[in-house]
Amino acid sequence: MKLEKSMIKLNQDVPTRDQAIRMAGQLLVDGGCVEPEYIDSMIARNNDVSTYMGNFIAIPHGTDDGKKYIKKTGISVVQIPMGVDFSNPDDDTEQLVTVVFGIAGLNNEHLNILSQIAIFCSDVSNVAKLADAQSPQEVIDLLKKVGK
Amino acid sequence: MAQEKKKSSIKVGIQKFGTFLSGMIMPNIGAIIAWGLTAAIFMTPNGWFPNAQINNLIKPMLNYLLPLLIGYTGGKMVDDDRGAVIGAVATLGVIVGTDAPMFLGAMIMGPFSAWLLKKLDNAFQDKIKSGFEMIYNNFSLGILGMILAIFAYFIVNPIMVTGSRWASIGVDAIIRVHLLPLANIIIEPAKVLFLNNAIGNGILVPLGIQQAAKVGKSVLFLMESNPGPGLGILLAFMLFGKGSSKSSAPGAAIIEFFGGVHEIYFPYVLMKPSLILAAMAGGVTGTFLFSVLGGGLKAAASPGSILAILLVAAKGSYFGNLVGVLGAAIVSFVVAAIILKRDKGTGDELAEKQKQMKSMKSESKGQEMPSAQNAQSSVKSYADIKKVIFACDAGMGSSAMGASLLRDKFKKAGIKLPVTNTAVRNLKDEDGLLVITQEELTDRARQKAPNAMQVSVGNFLSSPKYDQIVANFKALTQVEDKPEKAAKPAEKPGLIIGIDFSKVKEVNFIRHDEHLGSATMATSLFSDAMKKAGKKTPVKAVKINELDDDPSHLVIVTPAAKKNLKLRYADIQIITVDDLLQDKKLKQIVDKLN
Repeated sequence: MKLEKSMIKLNQDVPTRDQAIRMAGQLLVDGGCVEPEYIDSMIARNNDVSTYMGNFIAIPHGTDDGKKYIKKTGISVVQIPMGVDFSNPDDDTEQLVTVVFGIAGLNNEHLNILSQIAIFCSDVSNVAKLADAQSPQEVIDLLKKVGK
Repeated sequence: MAQEKKKSSIKVGIQKFGTFLSGMIMPNIGAIIAWGLTAAIFMTPNGWFPNAQINNLIKPMLNYLLPLLIGYTGGKMVDDDRGAVIGAVATLGVIVGTDAPMFLGAMIMGPFSAWLLKKLDNAFQDKIKSGFEMIYNNFSLGILGMILAIFAYFIVNPIMVTGSRWASIGVDAIIRVHLLPLANIIIEPAKVLFLNNAIGNGILVPLGIQQAAKVGKSVLFLMESNPGPGLGILLAFMLFGKGSSKSSAPGAAIIEFFGGVHEIYFPYVLMKPSLILAAMAGGVTGTFLFSVLGGGLKAAASPGSILAILLVAAKGSYFGNLVGVLGAAIVSFVVAAIILKRDKGTGDELAEKQKQMKSMKSESKGQEMPSAQNAQSSVKSYADIKKVIFACDAGMGSSAMGASLLRDKFKKAGIKLPVTNTAVRNLKDEDGLLVITQEELTDRARQKAPNAMQVSVGNFLSSPKYDQIVANFKALTQVEDKPEKAAKPAEKPGLIIGIDFSKVKEVNFIRHDEHLGSATMATSLFSDAMKKAGKKTPVKAVKINELDDDPSHLVIVTPAAKKNLKLRYADIQIITVDDLLQDKKLKQIVDKLN
């Protein structure tokens, strides 16, 4: 699978992590990848086990139950330059996130691109490049380099 | 000193050009061998098992396949896949309309057309509307390719043909004045430029046939086909060469001597053009011995293998032929050995000593020091390294071995860094690259990838440097597990100068147009580090116009942003870092703050 330009939203400013997840989820809905119910399942999953990955990224996705709402594999990207805290409200550690990857995966079709994202984002300066990206194409190009 | 540098840069330049030329051939040697074997075995009527049908393959392979491959590879070296395609298209223009194999034409048209395409792309790329890239890409290549193929057909091809005709005239003239051995002085360089078939089949063979018809044999058949000079050069490489050229030489020598595929040794000469002297000396010797000892062939020996030569040797001329070939090999071996050995010692005691001192110094530091001109960039540390690339001359053998060795060591040490290998000319300049090369290739590797960290090794297979590299990376991963302990206050205190830390009341990162996200992240990381170190100075990300012009602000910026900051503020304190997130200086700043 490939990242689509239309699934990438740049320069967003959100007050809460739930809103960031909803935004990533809505992109998946708009892209025809999931039913709207999937978004709730993404929120539920994040409350359950945080999808904060470290290095300023989070990869919200649905629960096992939520899988029935997936129509096709898709990945969305939301860039939040000012950052949003992904830690639990009652937690005083900060888990700042600048790039959110919304994930809807069927039949492991997304694993390839996910491992690319993982490898790429394991270097925090790469995440900075994503967080500074000025166009969806730039995001795609940055991630594309990983495979090579 | 300055002269010294100049001299070496000319040397590097020539070497680079040679590598570029041989780089077009190296990947295609397999194809050349395929053709050579087909010709040796099945050529009608001179092959070992003549076969008229298979014989049909030989000419198109030589005249079309090989030049097209060379043009393709040459284009690829300049502009990747697009360059490769247009290189092949344009090369066809030189090929069509001649009978001679147009290797030289391909070596010109391939890179040249790729270069033109690159220029064209650079001029238009950002003017293309999105969605039209595909159309642009295909049609720009298509149209330019058509024009270049036509250009090659009408302009380059005639020039090439004229060039080889001049070489023919020269050889012809020398033969007429009976100074036969001297003809090799023209023949050998022409051979290396892939005019061997033009000369062999174009001039020498027709003249030889006339002579053989009269007296039953001719030396002319031997002048180009003599495998002696090539054999001598390859043997010299076997004993005195370096790196991949050394390790690939034995195979090449067998192919040259028994397969008669001269093309195999041309890249070695192109790599080190002064070796042409060895080929000339060998060729002259060979021809001289053939003439004196009554050597000669009944017919053309094609390909020029020792077996083919003996097969068509005239009765009673075996001795002369063998001595001629061997004599040529010995002379060219000796000359080539001298050239290679002299080159190894660099001949310059001063330079040698400097090199020694430098390596002694760097060994005491446990890390190879890049030369003085790159001293600034040598502060790069192992922390930035994202991959390791072994680079050797052709990317064929030694670098692959070195890479697999280090890969293995990494695996055992639990270091998860990719280790690959490539030819020096394919190196791409990128950050976070550790390039490992042989000492003599360091200069060229640095030209290709000035931003990469460099380690040179004397020997790819058994270098103590590998263990140093492994140790360095290992130390790094241990440090990363416990970042609190990572701060090494003793480390290079001189990096931050002119900052009055006692005045600082706030640390700022600048949010500006294209750096919103990274400023957020840098602020978060830095305040995290401050907290861990028990420091209390607040850290904030601000817009560039939100600061008070006062030394209580310490602003951490990239070099690019510093300029603009200086335009607006006179008194704030500024530290520039190359990487807002991971720069070494950041730790030192934390240490010095309150």
